[in-house]
Amino acid sequence: MKRQSTWLSLVFWIAVSLITLFPIYWLFVISVKPAVDLFTTPDLFLKSFYWQNYLDVLTDRTLRGYMWNSLIVSSGNALLVTTLGFLACYALTRYDLGGKESIFFWTITNRMAPPAVFLLPLFLLMTSYYRIGNFSLLDTKIGLILVYCTLNLPFAIWTLRPTLDGIPKDLDEAAYMDGASSWKVISEVVFPLARPGVAVTLMLTWVFAWNEYLLAATLTNFNARTLTTGLSEYVTTTGTEWGVMATISVFTLIPALIVFSLVQKHIVAGLTFGAVKG
Amino acid sequence: MADVSIKDVVKRYGSLQVMHGVNVDIADGEFVVLVGPSGCGKSTLLRMIAGLEAISDGTIEIGGRVVNDVPPKGRDIAMVFQSYALYPHKTVGDNIGFPLKMAKRPKQEIDDKVGRAADILDLTKYLDRYPRALSGGQRQRVAMGRAIVREPKVFLFDEPLSNLDAKLRVTMRVEIKELHQRLNTTIVYVTHDQIEAMTMADKIVVMRDGRVEQIGTPLDLYDNPQNVFVGGFIGSPSMNFIHGHIRDQGGKHFVSDEGLHLPLPETSASDGQAVSYGIRPEHIGIGDSGIRMKVVVTEPTGSETQVFARSGDDLIDAVVKDRISARPGDEVGFIIDPARVHLFDRETEQRII
Ligand SMILES: Nc1ncnc2c1ncn2[C@@H]1O[C@H](COP(=O)(O)OP(=O)(O)OP(=O)(O)O)[C@@H](O)[C@H]1O
Ligand SMILES: [Mg+2]
Repeated sequence: MKRQSTWLSLVFWIAVSLITLFPIYWLFVISVKPAVDLFTTPDLFLKSFYWQNYLDVLTDRTLRGYMWNSLIVSSGNALLVTTLGFLACYALTRYDLGGKESIFFWTITNRMAPPAVFLLPLFLLMTSYYRIGNFSLLDTKIGLILVYCTLNLPFAIWTLRPTLDGIPKDLDEAAYMDGASSWKVISEVVFPLARPGVAVTLMLTWVFAWNEYLLAATLTNFNARTLTTGLSEYVTTTGTEWGVMATISVFTLIPALIVFSLVQKHIVAGLTFGAVKG
Repeated sequence: MADVSIKDVVKRYGSLQVMHGVNVDIADGEFVVLVGPSGCGKSTLLRMIAGLEAISDGTIEIGGRVVNDVPPKGRDIAMVFQSYALYPHKTVGDNIGFPLKMAKRPKQEIDDKVGRAADILDLTKYLDRYPRALSGGQRQRVAMGRAIVREPKVFLFDEPLSNLDAKLRVTMRVEIKELHQRLNTTIVYVTHDQIEAMTMADKIVVMRDGRVEQIGTPLDLYDNPQNVFVGGFIGSPSMNFIHGHIRDQGGKHFVSDEGLHLPLPETSASDGQAVSYGIRPEHIGIGDSGIRMKVVVTEPTGSETQVFARSGDDLIDAVVKDRISARPGDEVGFIIDPARVHLFDRETEQRII
């Protein structure tokens, strides 16, 4: 009985994994085929590797620029929102702020709105108002980093709050008694204990910024274009370069996979942190 | 080392006042215990001395300096929390050394002092362990190590033993007392356990509902409770109280509402005055003479026996060293020494004798 159910669940999960992973596999298959082979009868298994798409992408200066932009924007944004979110949660959990539950909820509502809502106002503001002389935030990396705060900061506050709530305030007080300043309390006690939660927040916000398409597509032209928006440039009026697109997609996937596998165990630790704390 | 002087201290949370003008003087090197029932404001007072809680009104002086606006860091005091509040991500050694690290002492000095504190508290073996791998008593000692390592002017303890089992509590009680004799630092110690208060304190402050009820040495509080509350709170098992009146018929004596006649010492109480008659169980003897009482329950503990007995609706308990053969339902004589009787006014609950 027991053995049978183990087998059943094994088969079930293998099937589920195959179904979910198949598109990714197919993406890979497309990326290593020459364009002429794409529309022939599909083969399920690879017979040969065609690396030209990869070479094309890697030697393309524009695409390399996009990749760099994506990296800077998502890392910059993740660091910024995690830092700000951490400090906000510290204040929310440690100080007697009037109406702090309302502040918390209000922050979350920003995340609930569909991103498209922010599109038009942000575009107009960035082109006409957020400018100093000739410098405007439109089509800059810093501009994107700031824009992503709209969605990522609420998210960071939301994920970090249980973590900080779970760290007993007695520890803060003990540290104050031991002669620590507020900053020392944070750096010596609160932050080290919040590390799993911080890691999870960093990662999830990073992945969000890395994958974001809509805002990046509208608020950048050339200088700050990211990899996801770069993808769409391969759909042109003269045809679609499927192979190159697939290759770029693979490149978009890889960092997310790496980040996920690195912090996978922190996710579990982070999500249960508040609960297991005595 | 320093004395602590608490003057007319008031604490308000918004419009809610929880401390109503508290005055306590603590001499240099004294072991003072704040005791009282749950919610009476012991922790709040301690945290005001620590600087973790703002003082709404009045002043607190440490070593002659008013510290109302001084943050904890500047008060040179150490505190042991009920939860111990050990830093879970630091080793025992780093926990104990943390105050010195915050004071930016040189590494060598930190190591020396941590070593010495660990030695005093018998923690040398555990310096590299993390708090989660320690027993309750060991954690308790680490928390004390963290407090003594900096040689502060004053130690504050907030119910440090309440998470330990009964036996360990007795051991730690002795250890804390020993530590005090060794370091001679002023200690303010909070507990709701009157036995802890009696055994450890040089001076006890009994609190109720944000007010001080009485301050004195343990024996002073035991012998001369100023009111019904202190009489009932100090001493275990607690004092018997019987409601009744004074009768003056050629010599005063006490008559309970149930008609029980009890002896009195010399008193200024007047005929007909409504009073509460207080007598401690250990000041009642059992014999063939005395007031006739019917035994309800006997509780032998080996070293002594507690006897609950009834006369009418008055229930009185006595504690005697002898083994008692009386069984429930039997009649025994309760012998009360008038010199040990406490008398309180029924209205004001204040002491008469
Ligand atoms: N933040 C607060 N807001 C409002 N009232 C409070 C607050 N903190 C404490 N109190 C009230 O102050 C009073 C004293 O509390 P305190 O914690 O000092 O009691 P305690 O004597 O230490 O009791 P215990 O033995 O249960 O620890 C209580 O009535 C409590 O409800
Ligand atoms: Mg308390």
